[in-house]
Amino acid sequence: MNDPIKQGLASGWKHFDAASFTDDQQFETDVVIIGTGAGGGMAAEILTQAGLSVIMLEHGALHSSSDFRQQERWAYPHLYQDGAARKTKDQAIAILQGRTVGGSTTVNWTTSIRTPKPTLDYWRSEFDLDFSGEHSLDPYFAKAAGRLHISEWQVPPNANNEALRRGCQQLGWKYTVIERNVHGCANLGYCGMGCPLNAKQSMLVTTIPAALQSGATLISRISARQLLWQGDQVTGLLAVPVDPHYQPDPRLSIRIKAKHYIVAGGAINSPALLLRSKVPNPSGRLGKHTYLHPSVISGALFDEPIQGHMGAPQSIYSDQFVWPNNSDIGFKLEVPPVHPVLMASTLTGMAQFHADMMRQFNQLQVMIALLRDGFDPQAQGGQVQLDGDGEPVLDYPLTDYLWQGVQKAYLAMAELQFAAGARAVMPVHQDATLYSSWQQTKAAIANLPLARYRAALASAHVMGGCNMAANANKGVVDGYGRHHQLENLSVFDGSVLPTSLGANPQLTLYGLIWRNSQALVARLVG
Amino acid sequence: MHRRQFIMFGLASGAALATGVSLYPLAVADQTERDDAASLVLDAILPALLLGALPQDQALRESALLQTRQAALDFLPFLPKRTQAELSQLFLLLSQQLTRLALTGHLVAMAELSVSQRLQLLESWRTSYLTVLQQAFNGLRALLMGAFYGQPQQWQALGYQPPEFRPYE
Repeated sequence: MNDPIKQGLASGWKHFDAASFTDDQQFETDVVIIGTGAGGGMAAEILTQAGLSVIMLEHGALHSSSDFRQQERWAYPHLYQDGAARKTKDQAIAILQGRTVGGSTTVNWTTSIRTPKPTLDYWRSEFDLDFSGEHSLDPYFAKAAGRLHISEWQVPPNANNEALRRGCQQLGWKYTVIERNVHGCANLGYCGMGCPLNAKQSMLVTTIPAALQSGATLISRISARQLLWQGDQVTGLLAVPVDPHYQPDPRLSIRIKAKHYIVAGGAINSPALLLRSKVPNPSGRLGKHTYLHPSVISGALFDEPIQGHMGAPQSIYSDQFVWPNNSDIGFKLEVPPVHPVLMASTLTGMAQFHADMMRQFNQLQVMIALLRDGFDPQAQGGQVQLDGDGEPVLDYPLTDYLWQGVQKAYLAMAELQFAAGARAVMPVHQDATLYSSWQQTKAAIANLPLARYRAALASAHVMGGCNMAANANKGVVDGYGRHHQLENLSVFDGSVLPTSLGANPQLTLYGLIWRNSQALVARLVG
Repeated sequence: MHRRQFIMFGLASGAALATGVSLYPLAVADQTERDDAASLVLDAILPALLLGALPQDQALRESALLQTRQAALDFLPFLPKRTQAELSQLFLLLSQQLTRLALTGHLVAMAELSVSQRLQLLESWRTSYLTVLQQAFNGLRALLMGAFYGQPQQWQALGYQPPEFRPYE
C-alpha cells in the first residue's frame, strides 16, 4: 500500500530522529518551528515555499500509514500526549491531544468548522481583535478548504451520527452535516488511530511532505526545553532527545539557532516552553485562560445495531444549545467514535455492570456535549503550571457555572437519545445507571451529584494560554501571533485563542495560521 | 517487600496517603520492589474489576489476567514521570502489610479475600470521601479496562473486529 512518507524519505527528505543522536548537535536555520500540528504544519509549507530555510521539531515520532493498524493499544501510547492518559491536575478531565508528526491532525476526527461569528464578535469586544471586512479569515478558510479537500461529507452518516440527526429531527432541533478534510475516504472509522489510507488530509500527508519536498528539515523525537533570549530577541533554542517512551532525555543537548522562532506545540506544551524559558510576561496571562471544551458524555442502548466504530466518526453536529439567549454556558452536541479501549475506559462502573454494558457494545450510541468555556467570568479556564521535572500540568477548576452546564447537557443528550429511539439511556456518571424512559432519566439527572470524579469529563480541544490581543496588557501575542515583547518569536497554535471556539478548532487554526504565516513571510522576506 | 503477603488497604492508610504521610517511603523502594508491588496490586484487583468480563474457561481466564497485567505495566512508562511516581507510591501503599482492612477491621491477606470482598473494597474507594481514593479508583479502572479491552482476544465477546490491511506486529 502507498506510503508517501516512506517514499519521500527514500527520495532524500531531510529527517533526523533525535533519539538516534549519539553526540550533541547544533543547527542553524531561518525559521525553527516547534511542533508539527495544525499550526506548525501549515506554517512549514508556507514559509518553506517562500524560500526560507525551515526546521520543524516534533516531540513525537514520525509515524505514517504503514504504522497505522487500527489498534488502540498501539495508537494511544505512540500517537497521543501521555499515552492518551493526559489529565488535568486534579485528574477530573481526561485530555486527548496528539503527539506525533502532524500533531492532533494525525489523530483527529476530521471535523472542519469555521470560527463561529459570535466568537469573533466576542474577541472584538474583549480583545480588540478585528476579523471583519478586509480582515476576515474567510479567504483563508477557503484556501485551507482547497488545500485540505475540506467539503461536506456526502456519505450517509453512520448509525451513531444518524441517531443524533434523528433526535434533532424529532425534537425540531438544529443540526448540520459536517465538512471533513478527507480525500478518498473509505468511511472506515479509525481516524483517531491514524488514517491507514492517507485519506485524511492531515498535516502529516499534506503540508509537511510539501515542506520536506521543498527542502525543509524535520527532527522528530525531540523535546524543546528552553528558549534563550536577551532584550527583545530570542537567541537560541535548547532541546534534548526523548527516550523510547517519549520522556525527555537529557543525555545530550541539541542547540538550534534561527532568525525567527515559532512555538506551535499546542495549548499545554507551548505555554510550558515559554514558562520554562521565563520569557517576559507583563500581561500576566502566559499559561492562563486555558480552555478545554469540557465534554459531558451520555450513552444509550438501541435495539438496532449502532456499531459506532464503523464509518466517519463525526458527520453531524447540533448547535441547538451552543449560543443560548441567557447567560448559561452553551454546549455543542456531537458524537465520538466507539472503540473498545476508549469506551471501556470511559464508561463508568465496573465488574458485572460494566461487562454487561460492553457486551452491548454494538448497540451502544454515545453523545458528547462540548461546553463552550471562556465567555463568562465563571468560566475563565485553567492554568498551565510546571511540575518538578518542568513538565506541564493543567490546573482546571470546575466552577458551579460549569456544573450547571454539565447538568443541562445531560438532560439535552438524554432527551435527544430517547427521541431518536433509544430503549435506555445512561449519563456517564459514577452514580448513574441505565434508565428506560425520558421521565425517569430526567428525575435521575436532577439528583446526580455535580462533582468531579462522579461525572466523566473529557476534552479533545485545548485552547488558550498564550492568548492574542491587540493590547499587550491583555494578551501574550498580537493578532498575528507575534509575541508582544520578543520581536523574533511567534506563537502559531491553539494557545493563541482568547476563548474556546464553540466549534472544533482545526479549521480556525488552518485559516488563522495561513494568514499569520503570510504576514510573517512579508516581514522576513519582504 | 520482605513478605509476599498482601494485606489490603484500609482507611488508616488511606488517610496517611491523603495527608502525604508515606508508610513506606518511596525513596527506600528499589525498582524490583516497585514492580512487585504493582504486580501484587494489579493481580489483586483484576479478578474483581473484570468480574463478568473474564472468559469462563480457566486457562483462558488465567491468560487474560496475565496479559492484562502485562499490558498495564507496559503502558506505565508512557505516563508523565510525575504520574508514574504517584502510581508507584500508591502501589507500595496498597501492598503494605501493616494496614487494616476497613471492611472487617482485621488484618487479612489479600489472597484470603473473596472476589466479592475485593469488589466491596473497590466500591469503597469509588465512593470514598477521600479524593486520593477516588482518583486511585478512576485511574486504575481506566488503565485496567483499557489494558483488558485492548486485547484482540476480548473482542469476540463484543462483536468488534477492526479492518486489517497489514498484520499487527
